[in-house]
Amino acid sequence: MAVLVVVLASIPLWFVVYESFQLSFEQWLRLWSSRLPELLWNTLSLAVLVAIGCFILGVSAAWWIARHDFPGRQCAIWLMILPLTIPTYVFAHIYTTLFEPDGWIGITWQYFFGDTVEIPDIYNIFGATLVLSLAGFSYVFLLAYSALSVSTRTLEEAAQIQGARKSQVFWRVNLPLLRPAIAAGLAVVVLHALSDFGAVSMLHFQTFTLSIYLQMSGRFDYQSAAGLSLVLIALSLTFLVLERFFRARQRYYSGRQTRKHVLTAASPSKVTFIWFWLSLITLFSFILPIVWMLSWSWEAWTQDLINQEFWGYALNSLSLAAICATIASVVALPIALYNHRLRSSFSNALIQVSSVGFVLPGPVVALGILTFIIATLPVVYGGIFALLLALIIRFLPLAVQSQDAAMQQLTPSIEQAGRILGATPLENLRRVILPMIRGGLASAWVLVFIDALKELPATLILRPTGFDTLPVRIWIEASEEMLELAAPAALMLVVGTLPVLWILMKNTNKH
Amino acid sequence: MKSFTNAAIIILTALLSAIPAAQASDSIVVFSGRSDKFVKPVIKQFTKETGIDVIIHSGESTALLNKLRIEGNRTDADLFLSNDAGTLQKGSDLGLFIKLPASIVADIGTNYRAKNDTWIGLSARARVLVVNTNSPFADSLRSVFDLADPALKGKLGITHSTNESYIAGVSVYLLATNKDKVKTWLSGMKSNVGGKVFNKHSKIVSAVASGKISVGLVNHYYIYRHLDKHPEAPITIILPDQGTNEIGVAWNVAGIAMSKYSKKQALAKKLLAYLISEKGQKVFAEINREYPTRDGVAASAVVPAAGSFKVADVPMYQLGKHRNETIDLIEAIGMP
Repeated sequence: MAVLVVVLASIPLWFVVYESFQLSFEQWLRLWSSRLPELLWNTLSLAVLVAIGCFILGVSAAWWIARHDFPGRQCAIWLMILPLTIPTYVFAHIYTTLFEPDGWIGITWQYFFGDTVEIPDIYNIFGATLVLSLAGFSYVFLLAYSALSVSTRTLEEAAQIQGARKSQVFWRVNLPLLRPAIAAGLAVVVLHALSDFGAVSMLHFQTFTLSIYLQMSGRFDYQSAAGLSLVLIALSLTFLVLERFFRARQRYYSGRQTRKHVLTAASPSKVTFIWFWLSLITLFSFILPIVWMLSWSWEAWTQDLINQEFWGYALNSLSLAAICATIASVVALPIALYNHRLRSSFSNALIQVSSVGFVLPGPVVALGILTFIIATLPVVYGGIFALLLALIIRFLPLAVQSQDAAMQQLTPSIEQAGRILGATPLENLRRVILPMIRGGLASAWVLVFIDALKELPATLILRPTGFDTLPVRIWIEASEEMLELAAPAALMLVVGTLPVLWILMKNTNKH
Repeated sequence: MKSFTNAAIIILTALLSAIPAAQASDSIVVFSGRSDKFVKPVIKQFTKETGIDVIIHSGESTALLNKLRIEGNRTDADLFLSNDAGTLQKGSDLGLFIKLPASIVADIGTNYRAKNDTWIGLSARARVLVVNTNSPFADSLRSVFDLADPALKGKLGITHSTNESYIAGVSVYLLATNKDKVKTWLSGMKSNVGGKVFNKHSKIVSAVASGKISVGLVNHYYIYRHLDKHPEAPITIILPDQGTNEIGVAWNVAGIAMSKYSKKQALAKKLLAYLISEKGQKVFAEINREYPTRDGVAASAVVPAAGSFKVADVPMYQLGKHRNETIDLIEAIGMP
């Protein structure tokens, strides 16, 4: 079962390998000399800058919020994760309009600096970094925050007793302890940056993903596109393996007699400082975008543009994301279980292969699926099936990872206890394992739901005829500069994500 | 486990049933790479008059063409609409389209359709210069090749080089003159813009109107779109290359083709016939102030009348044939 799922998940990979094998040596050489150096440089520097950006925003916020008690703390947590509801291409679109001479930031800039200093251009790596960091830092925040709130005091106290200063404790004790959580968060962020399509194409920043898309779409050159994809996959897998390698070497165990950390009440000056910093983050990562959406949605509302068609798109989006999340959570289960049981290099390899969907650019996944279905199962083509398959492949890794993480708390002794008491394996699964990992299952569902709801490139290519989702409409309207039509769709995505985000938070708080 | 599975099944069936069936049987599907707002009015009119439903599946022209190609005989598409002759010709070269009947192509000039009649142009647009009337260049510019003049450093606006109108324009200049001339021209423009290009044509026009730059290379309708909102804007159109030995204005067309695998050819032909009828042509072109490709149908009164200026003598199907060559040249020079 696990193997079957993984084989299905690797379809796009076979497509890429097959197509790129058609490339002759000369073509590879040409690709190498003409495009690759620039693309490698652009993509890698973007990934590094986004990682730094997310680290600064995410870890700082997590540290202040997890360790200090101050008025509005719960609200602050929410403000830090709300940016998850806004897709990168919406961020990119909003920021390009804000930085226009007649956009809010443009006007403010000219008010302060006059005409002498040009409004900064964001159609470059800094714009892309800004957008991807704002859209991604919440992942780092979430993981760092939950790690900080469960970590114990013992080690910190030991350091303090030895005479370490506060800053020393942070750099020498807390940060190293946080390393796995931060690494996991950054891994998600970097993978998102590597495979991001919407934001970089709106900002015209040539990364691998955008270039692959242009090769395919503009030049009908699938082979070069596949060649580039192969390089990108190699890049991402190297990164993943490195990340796992460093994480595997650093497993931390907490002693049995642990004392939970107590929140220190922050002094008034500190409260001011904390809120200043958090407001700054949230101003750019949530408040500005949401106010922009609201004001243009209001425009749309007064012009009567929110009609039945619009609600149709919303329904399409929500049901698609829900179906996708449900199926992905179910099919991820065998893989996660299998890996949990065996922990062999084979099971580990299965997990790695299943994560291919996450590192491949959306357009490539879509084309791989399209080609595969037309060649093998043409009868099912035309309906929702192809799109679902592509989305599940893209987001299966999210489900697997989060279920895998939840299973870490299942010790063999618990299962053995079940079996000794006479439970059949299936009964054991139902009565012992599933209840124990319920939180992980819910998180898996929510994570897939959020990403599927925002998914753009595969949906653009594979949606059934006439089946438009909110992201598709945002894309179309934004490229036609119909802001009053793009904004309500973006707002609807935020609203649609809120309830599931609430479930996720409830889960995180429980652990 | 059982309750979990049951819940999953219930949710799934509920959700699957919420997704509407793909399409009704007496409707046709148009893959459209042209802005919805320019396509919908004429389609609505058509549906109203004939009762035939049309599903518009929008996206990027090239992406839709890829889809059409890979889908093969499984495609839903009956018609393929694109803003760019190059993309249409590409589809024709890939053998995705069917030859259109003489009754339909007859009214469209040979320059505005495929050589083998697999697609027809529906509306044409001109690559023109927009200048700020207060700038000294308002009187001196005559040719697109003047845009390479170093005097325009920092005063020129062009779009990003992936823009399809931009690519098509360069193809026309390439075909009407020669490679060296176009190469020098592109390099000159590159140094004039200094790496800063515009994301959209409309923003070039705004920048010219505000005086931030003096001149831009755009499609003609963007100028009138700006004047609609700001009638007092100090901008004017220059139709370039009108001299006796000059090449004339570069055109590009939006056009339509029928999928080889269309299962509803009779219905699709009805839509084609409507689109090239005088009424359909008027609605289709006028909404974006483009030039109808059918002889004898006048364009919007605000634009220079067709026939009053010289147009480069490059058949539109050539744009597709030379598309890759153009992109290669643009990339070799490193146009931003």
